[in-house]
Amino acid sequence: MKKLLSALVICQAMVAGSAVAQDIKLGAAFPLSGPNAEAGQLFATGIDLAVEHINADKRLNGSFGVVYEDSQALPTQGVIAANKLINVERVPYILSAYTGVSKAVAPLGQRNQVVIVNGGGVGPDLAELGPYFWNVIPLANLEVATMVPFLVKDKGLKRVALVYIDDPLGDAAKKVLDKELKAAGAELVGAFSIPASAQQFSGIAARVRDTRPDAVYIASYGNQQVQLTKQLRDNGVSQPIASYSVFSMPSMLALPEAQGSFFTSQEVNRQSQDARTQRMVKDYTAKHGKEPNTYAINYYNATMLFADLVEALQKEGKAITGANLLEKRQATPSFQFVGSTVSFQDDGTVRAPVQVNEIANGTTKIVKPGK
Amino acid sequence: MLYLQLLVNGIQTGAMYALIAAGFSLIFGMTRVFHAAHGATFTIAGFVFYECYQVFELGLILSVLGSALAAGLFGMLLNRWVYVVIQRHEGSFFTVFAASFGAAIVVENLIAIFFGKGLMTVSTDWSRSVEMMPGLFVAPMSFVAVIVAIVCFAILHWLFTHTSLGVALRALGENPMLIDVFGLNQRELGKYAFLIGSVLVVPAAVLTATTTGLSASMGHHIMMISIAATIVGGVGSLRGAAMAGMLFGLAENLSLAFFEPQWSEAVTFVILFLFIIFRPGGFYGRAIVS
Repeated sequence: MKKLLSALVICQAMVAGSAVAQDIKLGAAFPLSGPNAEAGQLFATGIDLAVEHINADKRLNGSFGVVYEDSQALPTQGVIAANKLINVERVPYILSAYTGVSKAVAPLGQRNQVVIVNGGGVGPDLAELGPYFWNVIPLANLEVATMVPFLVKDKGLKRVALVYIDDPLGDAAKKVLDKELKAAGAELVGAFSIPASAQQFSGIAARVRDTRPDAVYIASYGNQQVQLTKQLRDNGVSQPIASYSVFSMPSMLALPEAQGSFFTSQEVNRQSQDARTQRMVKDYTAKHGKEPNTYAINYYNATMLFADLVEALQKEGKAITGANLLEKRQATPSFQFVGSTVSFQDDGTVRAPVQVNEIANGTTKIVKPGK
Repeated sequence: MLYLQLLVNGIQTGAMYALIAAGFSLIFGMTRVFHAAHGATFTIAGFVFYECYQVFELGLILSVLGSALAAGLFGMLLNRWVYVVIQRHEGSFFTVFAASFGAAIVVENLIAIFFGKGLMTVSTDWSRSVEMMPGLFVAPMSFVAVIVAIVCFAILHWLFTHTSLGVALRALGENPMLIDVFGLNQRELGKYAFLIGSVLVVPAAVLTATTTGLSASMGHHIMMISIAATIVGGVGSLRGAAMAGMLFGLAENLSLAFFEPQWSEAVTFVILFLFIIFRPGGFYGRAIVS
């Protein structure tokens, strides 16, 4: 037993050693287990590639790495993860995901002057979390505002039923969808909230059918959105399904029942000729056998943004602190992101054109370009 | 029509919960092992079915048999190499529980490593609903689920009333000391309890694979339902666990007609609280605190 314990202690020391060996590091509070782990894994592919590129280019004075903590996509776990990253790992910059988690960890960033960057959550109120909270993804108000005219004007679908997760993202989606549908002369005929842990949706399908909608909008994420889509189709809901950028997850694209669904996403020009885009798309495709989706690109961008800011601070001989990172970002008019050059607005968000896509043959095609 | 639809859905869900709960209750009632890895058995059964049916295309029967073999083996091996070993070293109830909980987490992580962290679904026409009458959609799989549940419970009833193994297992649950007096081996009987209890998750795992899809983390929900049904049904009562499972399935679905869907899962726990307060012994069987 003593030998076993000793071995465990040595293993622990080795793991811890690898984490502290980095001179410069950022933190990431992602779901690494549970029903949303697929998303966390996908986000990490973007970060890991960015870290590889930054270290290969020797852009920073010192080695650069990332420390991952498991948020399980739950606010409480997210706060635990962020606390560890701030107080133990002492990172000045944390990547966050999911609306509920992001809202929970934002006050920690504000209080400790640590930058929190979201590349996956889309709740509109993520734009109101203070100067230390930044978003590198367009928020749901922009996505819904793009989807509603498409459904109502282009497709003539005026009666929309909503199935939404009972969390800040779902609540925000309901509010925005209701407002946008009314503005477009259409109607929200039913709104059904579901708990985050729900897996059985045949009853929800019956309720949705009962409203006789022209289309169904899904505001959920992770495994649940896949289960929901499959069970709606299996249980007689044949109307078009619409959603937001989370429908670009690989398991959703592969689902036979999801074929023909519409979803919005930020416009990313993967064919852009700038060196950063070309390199990211080429290396990601070589490594993973497929083009990066928007989430992998967002977190690549968020990591590169950190490197850009750190590089500038090091040139000026300034310390890498959250306050200095914020000051440097505010002083920089624009940043090169994959597929576009972006500027941050005063509320810490980036605006990007939003396009409408359709899932077809396990992949996506653009049915309405962004503007 | 909405009520009828929800009733049909409730019967299908209830049949699935009843089988899972009966398996857990059987193991707990007979061996007093709080088998928290019962959800992991369910997950293994589902993924083995997926591999056999979807990947190796072995057909429905062989895939179900493969799934049953994997579930039974996992339950028996976990009992033999973890629970029995701990019990032999005078491990307390909670030590066994912690080991079981740990085993569930290990299985979840191993499945995530081998199969990925996303959701996997089995494509089959059996899960696609057919409109039986205007507004009433029923999937062929629903009929299969209910029929399989009835057959399984009929077999269990026969086993426990007409075979010496069943009588011995009942005696093990009611009075383990008596087992020793009659010269029977408690651990040997426990092995059969794990085998039967574990195999009982297979129909529900197959149904889940074809209707809701599989993920590494799906065992948690199954575990919660199993525990709640065991308490509501009465510890050690298979009939009670089955009834509680059916009650949960019906309540979860019928509540949709009256409440927002977000409360449907809470209904299960409201029922649980009511039983704990007003009828701690459950439908049948003994109270947990004696």
